[in-house]
Amino acid sequence: MKELPEEVLDIDQKILSYVHRGTDHQDSEEFNRLALRIFELQVKYIPIYRRYCEKRGIHPENISSWDQIPALPTDAFKVMELAMLPSGTVRTFMTSGTTKPEERGKVHYDGGGLRLMDATIYEAASCFLFPDNVKTTLLIIAPSPEIVPTMVMAYGMNRLIEYFGTSQSRFLIGKEGFDIKVLLDELRRSEAEGLPITICGGSFGFVNVFDYCREKGLRFKLPPGSRTLDAGGFKGKSREVKREEFVSDCEDFLGVAKDYCVNLLGMTEISSQFYDNTLRNAFKGINLPKAKINPPWTRTLVVDPDTLAPLPPGQTGLLRHFDLANRGHLLAIQSDDLGKITPEGFEIYGRTRDGDARGCSLTIDEMTQIRT
Amino acid sequence: MEIIEVDAYYLPADFRSQVNAFRTEVYQDEDITIHLKIPQISRPFVEALTDHLKKRRETYLASLPIGKIIDVLDEASRRWLEKDYPPRKLALKTIPAITHFSREVVEASIDVEMESSLREDIWRALCSEIKNPLFLDDFQYSPELGGYSRAFGPKLILSIFSENIPALPHLLFMRSVLLKAACLGKVAAGEPTFAPLYLKTIEEIDPEMAKSMAVLYWRGGEEEIEQAAFHQADAVIMFGGVEACESLRKKIPRGVKALLHGHKLGFGIIGRKGLGRQGLEELAARVAYDCSMFDQQACLAPHIYYVEAGGEVSPQAFCRTLAEAMERLNLKMPRGKISPGEASAIHQLRTKYELRELNNEEVLLLASPHGTDWTIVYEKDPGTFSPSPLNRFIRIYGVEDIFQILPSLKSIAPYLQNAAVAIGDHRERDFIRRLGELGLARITSPGKMPVPSMMWHHDGISPLASLLRWCDVEKKDREDGTEKK
Repeated sequence: MKELPEEVLDIDQKILSYVHRGTDHQDSEEFNRLALRIFELQVKYIPIYRRYCEKRGIHPENISSWDQIPALPTDAFKVMELAMLPSGTVRTFMTSGTTKPEERGKVHYDGGGLRLMDATIYEAASCFLFPDNVKTTLLIIAPSPEIVPTMVMAYGMNRLIEYFGTSQSRFLIGKEGFDIKVLLDELRRSEAEGLPITICGGSFGFVNVFDYCREKGLRFKLPPGSRTLDAGGFKGKSREVKREEFVSDCEDFLGVAKDYCVNLLGMTEISSQFYDNTLRNAFKGINLPKAKINPPWTRTLVVDPDTLAPLPPGQTGLLRHFDLANRGHLLAIQSDDLGKITPEGFEIYGRTRDGDARGCSLTIDEMTQIRT
Repeated sequence: MEIIEVDAYYLPADFRSQVNAFRTEVYQDEDITIHLKIPQISRPFVEALTDHLKKRRETYLASLPIGKIIDVLDEASRRWLEKDYPPRKLALKTIPAITHFSREVVEASIDVEMESSLREDIWRALCSEIKNPLFLDDFQYSPELGGYSRAFGPKLILSIFSENIPALPHLLFMRSVLLKAACLGKVAAGEPTFAPLYLKTIEEIDPEMAKSMAVLYWRGGEEEIEQAAFHQADAVIMFGGVEACESLRKKIPRGVKALLHGHKLGFGIIGRKGLGRQGLEELAARVAYDCSMFDQQACLAPHIYYVEAGGEVSPQAFCRTLAEAMERLNLKMPRGKISPGEASAIHQLRTKYELRELNNEEVLLLASPHGTDWTIVYEKDPGTFSPSPLNRFIRIYGVEDIFQILPSLKSIAPYLQNAAVAIGDHRERDFIRRLGELGLARITSPGKMPVPSMMWHHDGISPLASLLRWCDVEKKDREDGTEKK
């Protein structure tokens, strides 16, 4: 690993301090200062991004606000290396969603960038998943980072174990697939010992567990304080499950209280995570509608899908995220998720590209599916 | 705010009293609200209706001379071509509001569909497929047979419409009645208003014929209704996605003929001889039309135009001329509104090309000044056929030699349907032969892709002849059953 340049170490230090101030402040001025400085560095270090901005007449010296920073769509990572310090790369995460490796987006992290991500994982989970500051056994319905080193979720879950898990915490998907027996044993043990546990994993992994319990007539009553964290949604899956159904299944089959079922929006292209506010609100006794929350080191805008111009709060459009922890690649990311800004945070309705295209078209995936 | 009530169904005049419950679906567009009236239907209802249609066919349509049928269809097309025809004016409000195609696209669509559905086209289509249309009326002498032949159509054809081409459903009604078959159409939820209006036109012209025609609205997968309809029909014609067609194929009872038109891919080819400075703008206008008509949503639309290097004009220069043509056409016939997902897919893909262009790769991105109206991307043929995200997004692939594209076409051959070919030199004939061998069903010229003639062997089959049953009489001169000694 190469030593990072002084100016990068300097900004990283500032971002780290900002992240470690936690989630209970609204220091917008500092956010703006840091965002503009990161933008300046990214323009300096990433030539292709510089050209992209120049073509739009945007230079660090002629913008004054973070929301003017040009965002690149997520697919940009499929065609370009967009790292600030490519030679300093210590870790590369890849997007999923296609069987063809050359069509997967690659996001490179230098050592500093990875430390920023770690900090956001710690701070966000402290606030939104473990506001009660407990250590529990974390059972992860996902493969471990050793098996899938390029999967950002596995990396993040591993960090959660490190920061918040007991020594019994473990990943449940091995090389041979998901061993549900191990999970069931752990659930029984938790019930017997009265020690709360935390189950984390891909949303669809949970659905498989619920389906299994339904089929076998199994129901668990996990001790109070037990919680679930699911991420990933249902993209590309044959079955969609509504959030209400998911939460009520969590309650029915696992005995986890509704407010203790937390969903997380994580993206390979974004270092930070966006949690539901349900558990934090329940813990603090706040009665507010459910929403995804922007921790102070992030911002989210909604833009018009056709013109990409920002929309006022309350209108539905594409989500555009700004993340200080993205120092190592691109601060501003244009997602293809549909959502809207609410008074509490934002709502996400899922990926726009799933299933709303009209017309006589075929995807390559469709063609290969039919042929086989 | 204008409120329009419109039917998503058509029932024969003497059957309308059978429905008494309706529900309404509301579609809201900028300044129009559509109240779509949908009858509540059940399995027994569908059975009674199909029974009725078949009886009315028996007493009228089955013995109506083909010439008279063509008169009715021709007259219907002519009425729809009149700018002031009230159902046309209504369709020009309802279809854009529901499909989000622009009014101009819908208008152009009605015009091209109806212009190719006049008397002469219909006669030619019949002659091309069954030689003598009078075979449909009675036994006719067939010199090849040395006897008499007659063609019988199905009693009832069930047609399942798609929503991607406004004004297309009339084609399936035409094909049905030309075969003297009663017809039941199922409208697509995405465009349910044209078909009922068209049948009202038939009713204006020949009320008796209209009694053997109906349109219903149900959601795909409503098993009860679907099964009833399938079991009553002798033939099913369907337009739809690959998966929808596949799942339907399994449900159609054995013995029912099925013509399933799944989604297909089109492309175009311009050889170096075709790329001269003279006529460049005209060529660009034609390609722009292929890419823009129906907002590229038809199976007929091109996903890629292959352009050969080495001509007087480079492929890149052609792209620039094409960009001007796309913009001009967009002003004249604007693209419709698209969904967030469709727009997002265009932005994502544009960025991939823009970054490669900024990276000094041999790539070009030319895009509408505003929003996602149209997009042209140029690159050297990467050797794989990548479908377009549609809505006026065309890929131009540069090739050194046009024959180099054949391997990449081969890999998706089952999905290829339609190609515009303008090679312009001695290689054209050989190239077309190769495309035919690959499985293409139609080869035309740039500018003609969206408008096949009625004579086209749709998806490679004879849409009329393949539904006929023939009866041959091997008796020569005397009709009393005795052969001449």
